[in-house]
Amino acid sequence: MNASPDPFAGAPDEALLVAYANGDGQAARVLTRRLLPRVLAQATRMLGVPAEAEDVAQDAMMRLWKVAPDWRQGEAQVTTWLYRVVANLCTDRLRKRRGVSLDQVAEPLDATPSVTAQMQTQARMTALSEALAQLPERQAQAVSLRHLEGLSNPQIAQIMDISVRSVESLTARGKRALADIMAGRKAELGYDDDEPE
Amino acid sequence: MTMTNPNDDMLDDLFAQARGVDPTPSNDLMTRVLTDADAVQPKPVVRPDTRPGFWVRLVDAVGGWPAVSGLAAATIAGLWVGVAPPASVSDLTATLIGDEVSISLFSTELMLDEGVFSDG
Repeated sequence: MNASPDPFAGAPDEALLVAYANGDGQAARVLTRRLLPRVLAQATRMLGVPAEAEDVAQDAMMRLWKVAPDWRQGEAQVTTWLYRVVANLCTDRLRKRRGVSLDQVAEPLDATPSVTAQMQTQARMTALSEALAQLPERQAQAVSLRHLEGLSNPQIAQIMDISVRSVESLTARGKRALADIMAGRKAELGYDDDEPE
Repeated sequence: MTMTNPNDDMLDDLFAQARGVDPTPSNDLMTRVLTDADAVQPKPVVRPDTRPGFWVRLVDAVGGWPAVSGLAAATIAGLWVGVAPPASVSDLTATLIGDEVSISLFSTELMLDEGVFSDG
């Protein structure tokens, strides 16, 4: 899909960020192509609403551009930093969303399979996002990084700047709370009786 | 028949579905992000024309301000020698030019005549 070659192929994100800070316009394009899909995906999985996820993705990238001149190489990876920023921005949004039904803002994630299946997937993602919104913020972040992003506990510990043991505790408690919250919505989400789809 | 926690199964299924969500950034979003990047990108430092002016270059050419002060001292000394030459220079001038003019800048006689120094 990307027809144009990457002139910075092999260059680490951190080097590109420094190049951007030094006025290299091409570096921003390469970084955007590399990082934006991941940022958008993380925000979409946590928020369940594409339009909101796009706003968060744009906001996170803007923060990256702004921090570029002060970026200290060797201290953190750009991807780690972005995971943290997106998680924080999403939990901010989830907190503001508490008590507000997402039905008014929900929209289809994409226009692929059948309309019924698509609507059910959307309903499930919205329900998951609503349930995440009810968790304490740190639990919501740990659970989403572990189970929605599929990151390892040491990676999450680095992103959240906590110990691995704390990550384990947060994800365990978060998942348990999430299961309790979701238990009442099984039938509504198409998980009849004991048979997950 | 093994019993698993049905809530966990549902949750694991929801997580798996969420991980399958992999949206492609729209062209509009790409444009918005790149526009932001361009707007806040530190611009390369454009140096103004820092070529120094004539006098600065002149001062530099002769070796900076210490040299200029030396030149000024030499100029004053030269002027002094021209106006009130030492006896040896006067003799030489007289030999070469054939005449000698001597001006005393601080003629005490003249000053006394004008009453510059009052008695007592």
